Amino acid sequence: MITKNNFPKENNVLFNRGKFGLRITEKYDKVKCSEIYVQKTDAFEIGLEKNSIKDCNKSESCGFSVRVFDKRGSLGFAYANDISSKIIEKTINNAVKMMKVGPPNDEFKDLPFPKKSNSKVTGIYDKNIKDLEFETPFDLIKDMIKISSDDSQVVTQSGDFSSLYTYYYVFNSNGIEISSKETAASLTSSIVVKNNGKNETGNGFHWQIERKYKDLDAIKVVNKTLQMAKMNLNRIKIETMNVPLILTPKGVISLILNPIASAINADTFQYNRSFLVGKLNKKIGSDLLNIEDNGLINGAVGSSEFDAEGVPCQNKKIFENGVFLSLLHNSFTAGKDNVESTGNAQRNSFSSTPNIGSTNLYFNPGDYKTQELFEDIKIGILLDYTGDSPNLATGDFSGLILNGNIIRNGEIQESLNETMVGINILDLFNRIEKVSNKLEVYGSKNAPYVKISNVQISGSK
Amino acid sequence: MESPKPLESNLISKLTKLATKKRIEFWDIRVASSSGTLLEFTNGKNKEVSYSNIKGAGIRAFINGGWGFSVKQNISDSSIIEGLNEAIKLALFAERYSKFKFKIKEYDLIRDKYTTKLKTPLKDVDIEQKIDFALQIEKDAHDFDPRVINTNSLYTDGIINSLLINSFGSSIEQSISILKIGIKSAKKAIKLLSAKPVKGGKFTVIMDPKLTGVFIHEAFGHACEADLVIAKESILEEKLGEKVASENISIIDDPTPSDMALFGSYKFDDEGIAAKPVQLVENGVLKTYLHDLESASRMNVSPNGHGRASSYSSKPQARMGVTYLKEHDWKLNEMIEDTKNGVLCENWKYGYTNPATGNFQFKTRNCYKIENGEKTELMRDVGLSGLILEILNRVSAIGNKIEYSDGVCGKGGQRVRNCTGGPYLRVEDVVMGGLQ
Repeated sequence: MITKNNFPKENNVLFNRGKFGLRITEKYDKVKCSEIYVQKTDAFEIGLEKNSIKDCNKSESCGFSVRVFDKRGSLGFAYANDISSKIIEKTINNAVKMMKVGPPNDEFKDLPFPKKSNSKVTGIYDKNIKDLEFETPFDLIKDMIKISSDDSQVVTQSGDFSSLYTYYYVFNSNGIEISSKETAASLTSSIVVKNNGKNETGNGFHWQIERKYKDLDAIKVVNKTLQMAKMNLNRIKIETMNVPLILTPKGVISLILNPIASAINADTFQYNRSFLVGKLNKKIGSDLLNIEDNGLINGAVGSSEFDAEGVPCQNKKIFENGVFLSLLHNSFTAGKDNVESTGNAQRNSFSSTPNIGSTNLYFNPGDYKTQELFEDIKIGILLDYTGDSPNLATGDFSGLILNGNIIRNGEIQESLNETMVGINILDLFNRIEKVSNKLEVYGSKNAPYVKISNVQISGSK
Repeated sequence: MESPKPLESNLISKLTKLATKKRIEFWDIRVASSSGTLLEFTNGKNKEVSYSNIKGAGIRAFINGGWGFSVKQNISDSSIIEGLNEAIKLALFAERYSKFKFKIKEYDLIRDKYTTKLKTPLKDVDIEQKIDFALQIEKDAHDFDPRVINTNSLYTDGIINSLLINSFGSSIEQSISILKIGIKSAKKAIKLLSAKPVKGGKFTVIMDPKLTGVFIHEAFGHACEADLVIAKESILEEKLGEKVASENISIIDDPTPSDMALFGSYKFDDEGIAAKPVQLVENGVLKTYLHDLESASRMNVSPNGHGRASSYSSKPQARMGVTYLKEHDWKLNEMIEDTKNGVLCENWKYGYTNPATGNFQFKTRNCYKIENGEKTELMRDVGLSGLILEILNRVSAIGNKIEYSDGVCGKGGQRVRNCTGGPYLRVEDVVMGGLQ
């Protein structure tokens, strides 16, 4: 555990304020257990509009929240972005008031107890981001602008550079005292292109998030965006058909990884709102369905040593050869199921209670080269992006293909208008036929190309 | 909770001097302090209970096409001066590299105070009463039918005291109280369990007022936001004065506070411009866009009160307030009787639009088949899709009564309260997606 001496001096104020808050909660007789979360963030952003710099924004935030529980399991939660003694006392008093009059909850067991971390996680903090001068990222932005303005098909590009430095502490009355110092920087690009000679536009987007500044690659981000936008041109309406479907890594994230992240959230699960209820430890997908949630990868965007309640993060197999193996827990849902927390408590900021989220969610690679997925397809569909998500309770999915193309004789051809995909996600798991051997990284999610054998496509022709 | 104190004239003159010295052409400062309660119960147990206390200042500076924005948590005089200094530095940097040069047009200064009133002031209601209230509505939903598995209730309230000053000399003090209650319907959950998925294809669709409202917001309203038009990300670019919808279609955004106390209404936008009714579409013709200060200046029109931000810590954008499609003369039963083969769609789960291509998609909540003028079977997981500029030209009947619903719009990651409204609306040849 971290002792006061290990804390860098610059953050001693936060440490002391957090400890002060914890002491205040312990003065209330009715409080069975309590937690203080203190967080400081600095954010910076450069915005791009019409392929030109438009604005620069800088913001600072520092705040804390308190959770108190009584022996009936009633919760009080309050937060403020002021860590003066007066406000800390007042905020805790409000949380205690809520706890006293709130309804009992016998599903609450306790806040977590201190536990040693499974392994040290490195590479999640970069001093170059914390101390970033606002002129520095201009080099990245310059590349983004240049590539777009050199391309005659580009109508416009918008996007941004943003960076974030976060320092937080978690203290609880069971003895947890942890801190984490993290950074992230990202580039996003969204491009509209025109079809020369035709009255048609197409669009694409791409993004990159890294823990380290030097890992950002503006040229790659823009080229990927351009490629996606150009593939969105020459749109046709097609007839309704039943054909093989290839998901790009982006498509795998929206159709497989994001729904799974929600469906394995123990909170969703316990309320019977997940299409995976009743399927734990059963084989429900093809052998090629292998997914893990690993919070301990050095340098990865979703990694940290401890989660937002101070529980050590882990590496968990979620699907192995199509067998569904694990849920994601925070301390509350773990207590309810009488299991250990999996270290998946997350907070967007001090203003939220710890909910559950995946850390680094990976769809493991298969054996095929990407091109080999396409080869034997006479007619099929490539899905890169849909804004839709499946019905979480039933797994039913019917979604509009926003970026997608028709495949003829193994080749990617025209883009699609008014075309929808309909399939149940569980059927989709079973129909995974081929998985490519290369992964693409999108922040905390990694995915390969995946071929689904047979899918219902509704066209409007 | 304390309100932000009006800034002393001494401080204002210091800020003005600072900005003038650095050639800053426009600046504004929004100071706010807010408190609120959020209570969420699922099956009688707390899901989320929170009390918040937040304050801070958002400071913008502008010069010749470049914006700087600084967010400070401390609202002391010295912190605000520091914030303006930062915003100026950032604006000068942005200006150096921005390709598009323009000015912010000056408008008449406004000095005003505005307070919204609830029947029972929030400060007079204690936390115990709020919790009892939320639990009671949840219990009522749960008792509705023994087959209900889960119920969920949500209570939120808040008071936001704010102050806006800008380089035109405007100064607006506001105290806004908000109260919102939500309950997930028990009845619908039951019925849908036994519904069949829909078969995909093209249908005549009757949208209920909730769906019409959100459709107008998502599929059309966003394309009317002038910042997207300027960024070349709207399908309505260069369409002013052109026919974009069937002849009887009129669309208006009017956030002016009224007796209806609509969730999306406001007296002043977050740039200090008074709200007013804005006619977007009149008899099928596109008349104007929704403007913030910047877009109005760049398009050489007057701002129309639609520069909105989620809080002091975000920059205002061109956004909707209370957007509705005007009623006409059809009754619902007449519409159904007049439809041979169609679908009646009620309410929505989510919807989105690609403003550059005009593709949209809506997931509806309840759908009924219409066969030979009669409403028949219930269906689930129905999605509607199409192209914005085609679909509003295929409206074949407009209902005679508007209903409004509350919403929260998330443009640019900023959650802003708003309202959508409209009557029942019948549209021909809509693509519906399903599983079969």
